[in-house]
Amino acid sequence: MQTWLEPKYFAWLEQGLVVTLMLSVGAGLCATLLGFVLAIARTAQHAAIARAASLYVFAFRNSPLLVQLLFWYFGAAALLPPDWMTWLNTPHAVAWGPIALRWPSFELFAGWLGLTCYTTAFIGEEFRAGMRGVSHAQEQAAAALGMGRYTALRYVILPQALRIATPPLAGQYMNLVKNSSLTMAIGVAELSYMSRQVDTETFKTFQAFGIATVFYVLTIAAIEVALVVWQRSGNRALQRGRA
Amino acid sequence: MSGFDWLSTLRYLLLGPFPAGPLGGVALTLALSATSAVLAALIGLAGGVALAMTRGIAHLALTAVVAFFRAIPVLMLIFWTFFLMPVLLHVDVPGLATVVCALALIGGAYLSHSVHAGIASIGRGQRDAALSLGLTGWQALREVILPQAVRVMMPSFVNQWVSLVKDTSLAYIVGVPEFTFLANQLNNRLMVYPAQIFLFVGVVYLLLCGSLQWLANALLRKDASAYGSKR
Repeated sequence: MQTWLEPKYFAWLEQGLVVTLMLSVGAGLCATLLGFVLAIARTAQHAAIARAASLYVFAFRNSPLLVQLLFWYFGAAALLPPDWMTWLNTPHAVAWGPIALRWPSFELFAGWLGLTCYTTAFIGEEFRAGMRGVSHAQEQAAAALGMGRYTALRYVILPQALRIATPPLAGQYMNLVKNSSLTMAIGVAELSYMSRQVDTETFKTFQAFGIATVFYVLTIAAIEVALVVWQRSGNRALQRGRA
Repeated sequence: MSGFDWLSTLRYLLLGPFPAGPLGGVALTLALSATSAVLAALIGLAGGVALAMTRGIAHLALTAVVAFFRAIPVLMLIFWTFFLMPVLLHVDVPGLATVVCALALIGGAYLSHSVHAGIASIGRGQRDAALSLGLTGWQALREVILPQAVRVMMPSFVNQWVSLVKDTSLAYIVGVPEFTFLANQLNNRLMVYPAQIFLFVGVVYLLLCGSLQWLANALLRKDASAYGSKR
């Protein structure tokens, strides 16, 4: 009796992990950039911009990601013009020398969009908390030195805010990896989806879920390790700067 | 739009087939959230106290367990409870119970971290003072440290409860007829208003979570001002 999974199914799970990681990295990069913009918008002097940004945060943080994903997958498909949808649904490939980029399936696209919009709200709040952690006197000192608002933001506030926000940001990236599991509901073939697929094909539930769980734990642990390494190297650079 | 009965559809989304059948929809979402919130708070309190009171190997083991539950997706834990609970308990466990169990475990793991942090934030001085007054360790914890710690950790409880309400939507994956499940069912049946349906679902969750947050903040503020005037 064979108790271990056959290599074929193990490969399925590995594929799932790759999709999970790609989805997380893609959504994480975009959400970080947009979250940055969102944090700056929330502190904007223009009241309408600040209010719109806080409304965005309220709406996206307080509704379930699953509902948002279902909305993007079913709802956006109905709202978009039909020829856009046919374009999105047909495969596109860009061959660029040896690298071939393939346009992802609509499931993956909707999953990426949903995760990005959701995570942006959280990352934006972490950035904002980091910016509030920088003392107000710093801003005034920068203004006294003749810096404009954006120069002060760029050279004085943000470098310090980023350092404060790093640990909670790492937490958000972990949440992103975990949240990417919800895209299985719209049919993205990521790790949870694959583990269920392997489970239904082999009935080796324990192995299928076990391996997927180990993959998730390892990914989270890797982010944790990256955080520690990054913080250590940052501290060393800071000390070198002082010496 | 003729021939489509809005009122009964809305009723179905809110209550499920309730008087005739089991509870569903928003009502089930609320019941699910409330049950798992209470269980998560209890697990979190017990776990946090245990983290604060244990030393050495037991503490390490407990930290590892909490870290494990924090590292896996809620969905994965729902799969596990869905698969393991019937095997371990040798009875047919309904999907509802497995989801409550998974949500309570995840919420409890997160909360035990904040309870532990809350207890740590109170400081050794309070505990030493209580012990020197002749209180036992448990009395010091219950009468002196926890009442103060609860004040510190209340915001993280509220945050956790809000995310619990959102996470109940995952029960959809194992076929529990809560709000998201019914909405999806409706969408599959109608196939014409997907955007409107899911916007409506989102707004309802927004109202639930928003009002929970608002209520909690109002209560906390009142509590804080009462506490301030007492001093």
